[in-house]
Amino acid sequence: MSDQIMSVKNLNFYYQGDVHAVKNISLDIKKNQVTALIGPSGCGKTTFLRCFNRMHDLYPGHRYEGEILFEGGNLLERKDITELRSRIGMVFQKPTPFPMSIFDNIAYGLKLKGIKNRAELTDRVEQALKQAALWDEAKDRLKQSANGLSGGQQQRLVLARALAVEPDVLLFDEPTSALDPISTSKIEELMVKLKQEVSILIVTHNMQQAARISDQTAFMYMGELIECDQTDMMFTNPKEKLTEEYITGRFG
Amino acid sequence: MNNMTEIDKRKIINVVALSFSCAAATLGLFWLTFILADVLRHGFTYITPELFLNEAAPPGMAGGGLKHAFIGQLLVTFFAILIGVPLGILGGTYLAEYGRHRRIGRFISTLSDIMISVPSIVIGTFVYAIFVKPIGHFSGFAGSLALAIIMIPVVLRTTEEMIFLVPWEIREAAFALGAPYYKVILQIVYRGAATGIFTGILLAIARIAGETAPLLFTSFNNMFLTTNMNEPMPSLTVTIYQYAMGPYDDWHEMAWAASFVVTLFILGLTIMGRLIIRWKYKN
Amino acid sequence: MASTIKREQNLDKLFSIITFSAAFLVLAIIVSIFISLFRESLTAIDAFGFFGFVSSTAWDPVRENFGAATTLYGTLITTLLALAMAVPVALGIAVFITELCPKVLKPIFGTAIELLAAIPSIIYGMWGLFTFAPLMGEYVEPLLQRVFEPIPIIGQLFTGVPLGIDILTTSIILSIMITPFISSIVHDTFALTPVQLKESAYGIGATRWEVIKDVVVPHAKTGIFGSIIIAMGRALGETMAVAFVLGNKHEIATSLFDASATITVTLANEFTEADTDLYLSSLFYLALILLGMNFLLLAIAKTFLARKAKS
Repeated sequence: MSDQIMSVKNLNFYYQGDVHAVKNISLDIKKNQVTALIGPSGCGKTTFLRCFNRMHDLYPGHRYEGEILFEGGNLLERKDITELRSRIGMVFQKPTPFPMSIFDNIAYGLKLKGIKNRAELTDRVEQALKQAALWDEAKDRLKQSANGLSGGQQQRLVLARALAVEPDVLLFDEPTSALDPISTSKIEELMVKLKQEVSILIVTHNMQQAARISDQTAFMYMGELIECDQTDMMFTNPKEKLTEEYITGRFG
Repeated sequence: MNNMTEIDKRKIINVVALSFSCAAATLGLFWLTFILADVLRHGFTYITPELFLNEAAPPGMAGGGLKHAFIGQLLVTFFAILIGVPLGILGGTYLAEYGRHRRIGRFISTLSDIMISVPSIVIGTFVYAIFVKPIGHFSGFAGSLALAIIMIPVVLRTTEEMIFLVPWEIREAAFALGAPYYKVILQIVYRGAATGIFTGILLAIARIAGETAPLLFTSFNNMFLTTNMNEPMPSLTVTIYQYAMGPYDDWHEMAWAASFVVTLFILGLTIMGRLIIRWKYKN
Repeated sequence: MASTIKREQNLDKLFSIITFSAAFLVLAIIVSIFISLFRESLTAIDAFGFFGFVSSTAWDPVRENFGAATTLYGTLITTLLALAMAVPVALGIAVFITELCPKVLKPIFGTAIELLAAIPSIIYGMWGLFTFAPLMGEYVEPLLQRVFEPIPIIGQLFTGVPLGIDILTTSIILSIMITPFISSIVHDTFALTPVQLKESAYGIGATRWEVIKDVVVPHAKTGIFGSIIIAMGRALGETMAVAFVLGNKHEIATSLFDASATITVTLANEFTEADTDLYLSSLFYLALILLGMNFLLLAIAKTFLARKAKS
C-alpha cells in the first residue's frame, strides 16, 4: 500500500451544464513511477489529469464527485489550492515561458513560496536547470528573455520551473506534441531519470511514447477507465477487447 | 461576336471601377497633404520664440505669447492622464481577467465601445452639471475630469484587447505553480501586455490632447498664467478657437502657430504608436 | 502557513474588487450622464414638453422661447450629406489599399489615412475657416451656382449668396473627417476575406472588380455597416470643425449655401452665455437629445453586429 502516492476513488467530473466528462474512475498512482494515460482524443484523459491540481477550479460551473487521496486527505476538498499546486507541478502541451528572463522564470515559483535569499535562489535555479538538462545551454544567458529559447529548450525550461519548487508529483499534458523528435527524446530521457525524485503522470496520444517511458498505463475511452495495468502487460497482452483494438490501431 | 462585346463590357466596367478606387485614394491623400501643408506653412511663418516665452498681451497690443496656454494645456492633460490611465487599465484588467466569462464583463465592454462614441461636448456639459455648477466656477480640475472621462473607455478597451492577446496557457502555467490570480496578473500578464498597453495610452493621449469641446465649459479659458488647478485654466485648443474667431490678425497668427504645435505633437504620438506596434509584431 | 494562504486569498479578493470597481465606473458614468443631463433639462421639459420642443423652430433667447427643430435639422442634414460624400470615397480607398496598392506602399498609405483620422477637429476648423471656406466662397460655389441654379427644383439648393460659411462647406469638411474611420475599418474587414474564396472567383474568370463586388464586399457587409454607423455617430457629435464654418444661424436652411446650426455648435457658442435658467436648461435638453440619438444609434448597431457575429 505504501508504494502509491495518490489514490483515485470513484472520481466523477462534470463541466458546466452537467457534461459528464470523467466517469467513476478509480486508479492508484504509484510512487516513483511513470503512469501514462492513453486514449483517443476527447476521451477525457486531459480533463482527468487536470483534476489532480484542481485546474478546473479556475472555471465556473465545474463539479467534482468522489475523492483523490493525497497526503492523507482528499485533495478535492482542500482549501489551500495554491499550496496543493506547488506540491503537484504541471507541464503543458505548448511551452509556456513567462515574459521574463530565464532566471526569473525558474525563480518565480520559489519566490511565490517566499524564498527571497539571493544565494539560495541562484543555487536552486542552477540545480533545477541541471535536472532539466538545460544548464549547459542556458548558463551564459540567464538574464536573457526566455522567449529567445527554441521550442524544445522552452519546454525544458518549463520543466525546470516546475522542478524548482520540488513537487511530489508532476503532471504532463502531451508535453512533446509540439516538439521535434530530438527535443522529444530529450524530454523522454528526462522523465525516466526524474522518476527517482517525483512521481509522474503523463497524458499522451502517442502509444509508442507510453510504451517507451511508462511503468503503468491506463486506457481511457469516453470518460471511462477501460483498463489499467503494467505497461508491458498492457501492450503485449491487453485484457479488454477495446484496449486491444486501440493499441493495435484499429480505431482512434 | 455578341460574346466578345459582353467580355469587353466587363473589362471596361473593371477599368472604370478600379480607376474610381484610385481616384478616391488620391483624393484622400490630397486632403491630407492640403491640410498638413497649410498648417505647416502658416505654423512655420508665425512661430516665434516669444510664443513660448511670453504670456498674452492685451488685445491689439503686439508681443504677446501663449506661454500660459502651453502650461495650462500640459497641466490639464497631465491630471487627466493621472485619473484616466490607472482607472482604464484596472477596468480593462477586470474585463479580460476576472470578468472574462461574466455577463457583466461583456456588457461593460460593449458599453465602453458606445461610450467612446459619445460626443465629447456632451461630456463637457455633464462635467459642468456635476462639477462646475456645484462649485460655482470653472476650473482646471473640471477640464481634467472631462478629458479623463473621455480617456477611460479608450484605455480600458485597449488594455482589455492587449491582455486578451496574452495566451491563456501562460496563466494556467502560473496557476499550476501555485500563484494566486492577482500575482499572475501583476507579475506575468502585465509584463506580456506592457508594450500594447503603453501604445494604447499613447494613442489615448493623442486623442485628448486635441480635444476642445469638452474644455469649453469646464476649464474654460484664462488670459493669465496660472498653475492653480482650481482656477479657470487656459489651454492651447480653446485659445486657438477663441483667437481664430477673434478680430485681430496677430491672434490669427498665434492660432496658426498653436495649431502647428498641437498637430505636430499629436501626429508625432500617433506615428510613434504605429512604429511601436510594427516593431512589436516583427519580434 | 495557513495565515499566508488567507492573506493571499484576501489580497486576491481585494484586487478583483478594485478592478471590478474601475470597470463598473464606466456603467456608473454613463448612467450619471443620462441622469444629470435629464435633471438639468427638467425646466425646459416642463416648459416645452418633448414633441413641442422637437417640432418647434423657435430659438429666441430674448423671449425665452426655445425649440430643437432648427438645430436637429442642421445636425441631420450636415451628417447625411457628409455620409453621402464620405461612404463612396472611403470604400474606394479601402479597395485601393487591399487590392490595388503596391505592397511596399501599403503601410505608408495606411498610415497616411490614419493620420488624417488623428488630426484633431480644431485643426480642421482652423483650416476650414481660413483656407477652405474662402476657396469655396470665391471659386467653387459661384461655379456650382452658375451650373445648377437654372435647373428647376434642384436649382433651389444653389440659391443665395455663396459665402463659404454654409452647409456645403461644413458637410465637405465633415466628410473628410469621417472618411478615414470608414476606410480603416472596412479595410480591416476586407483583409479578412479568405484567399481561397477570391482565388476561386478568379478561377472562373471573374475580373478584379467582379471579385471585389461579388466576393470581397459581400463578405465584409457587416464591417461596412458598422463603420458607417460609427462614422455617423462621430459626425453627429462633431463640434469644433463645424463650429468654425457653419455660421450658427437658427433657421431651416433650404439652400446648400445657407448658414445653419447644429446641436453641437449651439452648445459651443451659447452654453457659457446662457443667462437664464430656462435658456441653460434648453441647452442641456439639446445635449440630452444628442446623447440619446448617439447612444441609440450605437446601441442598435452593436446589438446587430453582436447577433451577426453569433450566427
